[in-house]
Amino acid sequence: MAEGEQSPRRLMVIGIIGALIGMYLARYLNLWTGTAWFSFFAGLGAICAVYYGADAVRRVASYGLGTGVPSIAMLSFGAGQVAVLLGLAVAKNYSIWFAGPVIALILAAIIGLVNGVMARRVIKMNIHIMEMSMTEIAMAASLVILGLSTVIAGSFTFNAIMSYVVASGFIIAVFIVGAMAMFHPFNACLGPDERQKRTLNLALSTGFIAMLVAGIASGAINGVQAAVPTLIIAIFGWIIYYLRFFADTKQDAAAMLSTGLIPAEEEVA
Amino acid sequence: MDPQMMVELGALTLVGGAALIAGVAEDLESDVGSQSNPNSQVQLAPQMGYLHRLYNKAISGEPASYPFYAAIGAATALSVLSVTGNNSLIGVFFALVAGAFVTALIHGVYATTSYMGRLASQSRFGQPIYMDVLRTHTPVLMAHGFVANFSVLLLTWVLIAQHLSPFPFVVLAFIWGIALGGVGSAVGDVHLGTDRYYQDRPYGSGVNAAHSGSVVRKAESGLRNSIDCAWFCSKFGGPLTGLGFGLVVYLHFWKEVVVKDWWSAVAGIIIVMIFVIMNTYLERYSRQRYGTYKEETEAE
Amino acid sequence: MFSLLLWVWIILGGILIGAGVHFIPVGGAPAAMSQATGVGTGTTMLAAASGLTGLIGAGTAYYTHPGDFAYTIVMGGVSAALMISVLAFIANVMYVYGAGVPLASAKVKYDPITKWRQDLYVSRGTEGHGSPMASFISGILGAFLAGVGGALVFFALAETYKAIPGFSATFGSYPAPYYISLAAAFAIGIFFLNCVMASYNIGGTIEGFHDPKFRRIPKSIAASLVVSAVGGLFALLISVMLPGGI
Repeated sequence: MAEGEQSPRRLMVIGIIGALIGMYLARYLNLWTGTAWFSFFAGLGAICAVYYGADAVRRVASYGLGTGVPSIAMLSFGAGQVAVLLGLAVAKNYSIWFAGPVIALILAAIIGLVNGVMARRVIKMNIHIMEMSMTEIAMAASLVILGLSTVIAGSFTFNAIMSYVVASGFIIAVFIVGAMAMFHPFNACLGPDERQKRTLNLALSTGFIAMLVAGIASGAINGVQAAVPTLIIAIFGWIIYYLRFFADTKQDAAAMLSTGLIPAEEEVA
Repeated sequence: MDPQMMVELGALTLVGGAALIAGVAEDLESDVGSQSNPNSQVQLAPQMGYLHRLYNKAISGEPASYPFYAAIGAATALSVLSVTGNNSLIGVFFALVAGAFVTALIHGVYATTSYMGRLASQSRFGQPIYMDVLRTHTPVLMAHGFVANFSVLLLTWVLIAQHLSPFPFVVLAFIWGIALGGVGSAVGDVHLGTDRYYQDRPYGSGVNAAHSGSVVRKAESGLRNSIDCAWFCSKFGGPLTGLGFGLVVYLHFWKEVVVKDWWSAVAGIIIVMIFVIMNTYLERYSRQRYGTYKEETEAE
Repeated sequence: MFSLLLWVWIILGGILIGAGVHFIPVGGAPAAMSQATGVGTGTTMLAAASGLTGLIGAGTAYYTHPGDFAYTIVMGGVSAALMISVLAFIANVMYVYGAGVPLASAKVKYDPITKWRQDLYVSRGTEGHGSPMASFISGILGAFLAGVGGALVFFALAETYKAIPGFSATFGSYPAPYYISLAAAFAIGIFFLNCVMASYNIGGTIEGFHDPKFRRIPKSIAASLVVSAVGGLFALLISVMLPGGI
């Protein structure tokens, strides 16, 4: 861990607590007011999870996975969506629907740990943080799926997610948009001079794009109430973090030229 | 021939045509952005001391980025359709256009982040970020991506409307996105990677691994940019990708529409056999026509 | 309700997906520079491209012949094999006419199927180019296995969820019932679980069944067994958790 970086533990706390707070706020405020105006809180929660997941991807993928960065996110989102729906179904069966996200998180951790153990012990990948990373990424993935699904459905009960998010097929959009938001930051900033701050600012910007897509999809379910606040917040958030990423890029790049020829050999020190 | 099959054959023709256009546009889009496989060369070039003015769009590989676009487009179209209703043809058309448009915007944003991110992470090699490359290439990418995504959404919609697949719109668009990206990166990228990036090397051989990264950086006049690469690849790589994806989609549904029940499995196997035979001829032709690279005695 | 047989189908499907990935000739990024034998895409996504096209075929088969096990899985396999035969053939046309290279493999001296000499046709500094006959046939076999595997997972999940009360409803006026949507989404998820595990096992490029890396396949089968057992168990438990439907 280089100087000035955020520690994995801190990011984990931000990711998990932030995502859960966002989802519960969205669910309770929507329930309390009887509207869908507050769905956007779940989107903000999902962004916290993207922030955390992007750093977990960054840590494991910097070892070199052999098949590119995207694979690990695809695997984790595949595991995450099964865990999420089982978690919500368990909560429904025992009538403890408020515990749904927590159960989903625990199940995602279990399935992620199994994947990690298989990758490290059976396939014998030489990455010592594999088990931990797979667990963390699967947890983050389940929170992203749940957060974005809550934006779309306005609630995280099994019935709402099943009939609005899964039946319409939006679950697959959530799957790939969330996965892309999580692995794109490190994939886009891949290189010897990669820096955590820039990567994570990009993660926040892609997270807001994921929220934007969820906001568009929420229009199909809850109409203007859910879509408008989500879209406005997503666009503003995206602008802020895109500009921050731009500033970081300007600081890190060798040169940012408006135009020009290729520098000659001797100019490159 | 029963009328239902006539309608389905018409739908099949439309689907095949849309797939062909999607394939062509997809490959040219990836050539402008240097996405997917040849990206490794553009990424490696500054490290080997070859600074360049090519675009570096690493939104993962094409088979992961195209389902991303297709799923966003399909989700947006579904959302628009929930307002307009899916009964009028013109309403559906505009919903698909809206889907492809939102996709194009998001595609453009992701493209700029990967260009800037990758180049900033190579600062120790002195590779500058050219803002004019960003400004001129990104709209071209978005335009090609728009055409490709609109075609994917159109073909998916026709399949759903004709009840040729039971999957939800977004799921089907996602899967066709993966297939499109797979064909695009397997077929079109070869023209870009083997031929266009190494045009100064002798034609008719693979790129020697020792030359990796020494991409052509100068054009017929001035410096090479990635839009030139799309111009070059539009002569062979793009159309062949279109043919490939068009055949994948067309033959897939041909075997289900024209023949029914177990005969469609038989038809599928026969088509596979025909491709195996054609491949045998192609392989024999290439060996006889081009000859060997080394003499028998040289080989160990 | 939980059925042991359907769980076995999911595990078997996962194993077939993981094994199928090893058959598919993948050249990865070097294949685009004609530096490696195989189709130029990453392992995971090429397997997904063919296997999920097979899933579309399986879905249509399941839709036209509800509950027909044999037809669903055969159509899944055939559709995937058809996709990769078109893909590999068109890619070979590209290599022969676009790059001007003969199809050759550097891993074997003679092609195991055609018995044609390979090493003389490999250009300097490369590991072969295109998909020669052995890789081509291997790819078709691999895609068939992956397609059958995906179809098995889809069939098992769809049959399970069909029994849940209320799951035959549809979203708005669209034709897809709930159980097909959920089964398709999970089949894609379990497909990715297995094919990413297999591609970690391969670690880069593979030419097909004649490649030395192919001998790593038992490790992948063991990993797929556990991963799809857990994933499949989770997916099937949903039906146990919903006795009253939704």
